Amino acid sequence: MTNDEIRQKLTPIFRDVFDDDSLEISEATTAGSVPTWDSLTHIDMIVAVEKAFGVSFTTKEVGSLGNVGDLIRLIANRAK
Amino acid sequence: MSFLSAEFALFVALTCVIFHAAPAAWRACLLLVFSYLFYASWSLPHTLLLLATTAGVHMAALTVSRCRTERRKFALTSATIAALVALLAAFKWGGWLAGMLAAAGSRGSGTIAALLMIPLGISYYLFKTIGYLLDVYWEKVEAQRSFVSTALYVSFFPQIVSGPIQRAGDFFGQLHQLQNPEVAAASAGLRRILLGLVKKIVIADRLAVLVANVHADPAAFSPLELLLGAYCFALQLYFDFSGMTDIAIGIGSLFGVKGPENFNLPFSARNIQDFWRRWHMSLTSWLTDYLFIPLRMAFRGWGNAGLSAAILINMLAVGIWHGPKWTYAVFGALNGAFMVVSVFTLKKRNAFFKDRQKWDRWRVFFGPLVTFHLLVFTMIVFRAESLQQAFSYLSNLIPHGGTTGVAAWPLRWSLLGRSSGTLAAVLTLAAVIEFINWSSNQPEWRKRFFSLPRAVRWGLYYAGTILVILFSADTLNSIYAQF
Repeated sequence: MTNDEIRQKLTPIFRDVFDDDSLEISEATTAGSVPTWDSLTHIDMIVAVEKAFGVSFTTKEVGSLGNVGDLIRLIANRAK
Repeated sequence: MSFLSAEFALFVALTCVIFHAAPAAWRACLLLVFSYLFYASWSLPHTLLLLATTAGVHMAALTVSRCRTERRKFALTSATIAALVALLAAFKWGGWLAGMLAAAGSRGSGTIAALLMIPLGISYYLFKTIGYLLDVYWEKVEAQRSFVSTALYVSFFPQIVSGPIQRAGDFFGQLHQLQNPEVAAASAGLRRILLGLVKKIVIADRLAVLVANVHADPAAFSPLELLLGAYCFALQLYFDFSGMTDIAIGIGSLFGVKGPENFNLPFSARNIQDFWRRWHMSLTSWLTDYLFIPLRMAFRGWGNAGLSAAILINMLAVGIWHGPKWTYAVFGALNGAFMVVSVFTLKKRNAFFKDRQKWDRWRVFFGPLVTFHLLVFTMIVFRAESLQQAFSYLSNLIPHGGTTGVAAWPLRWSLLGRSSGTLAAVLTLAAVIEFINWSSNQPEWRKRFFSLPRAVRWGLYYAGTILVILFSADTLNSIYAQF
């Protein structure tokens, strides 16, 4: 899967978790740029991503994510 | 040496002069010496405990960063954190346990109680050390080779009495600024100290008398008086603690260290989870990163039950962090329960208001109003000496539901201990201060303030200073210095 394909697959997950049907994400998107992205919804999003991609993350990995680009790279590495 | 004493003001002034006169390379060491002198003015044995804890964490962080195997790294981090939590529990709850033993007639309980006198700021500095070690373990922060840097981070005197709990990476990243602190930041720091003193001494301590009176004997007051007391306590707690935070951040700025913010207009919160993102932010964000997220990750296979458990445990931790009292635990549990309900209904509420645009406008007003009242309710429990007293307060709040037969609506100012004029003046000043808090983050308002004639601005500073001097005679210890 390419990074762009991962991003496209992430978009509906983000729209559902963050309750925003028009949300567009890029690699530079951060929690600060999505009003409903907080510590509560952050893990909801992680759980949904784990399910959709069939992967599992550690607390350390989740804590080190700075933006959507980091998440995409983490998924790409895990899916290898 | 209390944070609000003349001796402390002299101490800060002296430290500041020596700090800025000293060669840049000495400043971190000097600040460390003054931080330890400040702490030693409270208790010498507790200073040794601070030093020993810091040395232990410094060594542990360096060893963790050099560990080659994940297993050893995890074992050392876990063991050190367990020791730090045990230390915190021993001092926070050991005295309480000794009290229970004393009540049961056990010999030696007095000695235990004396040994376990709670060291000043232990909740703040131990949280700093635990966070630092976890950040090193998670490779978010590099272990400090310099013991002076670690020790200064842990003992930095503006933050040790009542926080804020600064993150290690944030603090270490600013250490180079000690060598060349900005003048503009220092003058902003002085304004911040003045703002904090007005909040604490002029507003919070005026409200404290009324609050203490109604809580001393709730049955003797009318429901309206108790309601007023409950509102006043919410404001007292906010102005007391945010005032102390302003003073801490202001003093830090004099040395080039910008501390984290603790409050962001909390009473404008739209819901409970929004409130806890705006109240005591340095503690709640600490708990989010080091307790809530690990718990939420561990429980994520349990669905909604896992989320509820993580929220409840986290909020219970917020409550009992304040000390070994059932009232604090119930305060945390109530907030946890409110948050669980709010989190699970948020999407449905959003969908409901999305289809009803006209009502959505009212939501902007009613959301904060309902949230504020939920918090005022839980703060009654927080303030009460015991659960029994909290129950007495709450039952007497209901008109005709109380046991005393006091009519529902009288406001007897002499019993309350403050005149209506004083209260009106304090509340007006509180509104002005809150406007200053809000406008200080609005660039256009900042510009407006600084384009005022110099005489007007200095007039305001003098007015604030005179108010602080006038009311400083009967100032009280900060509520949050006891935690």
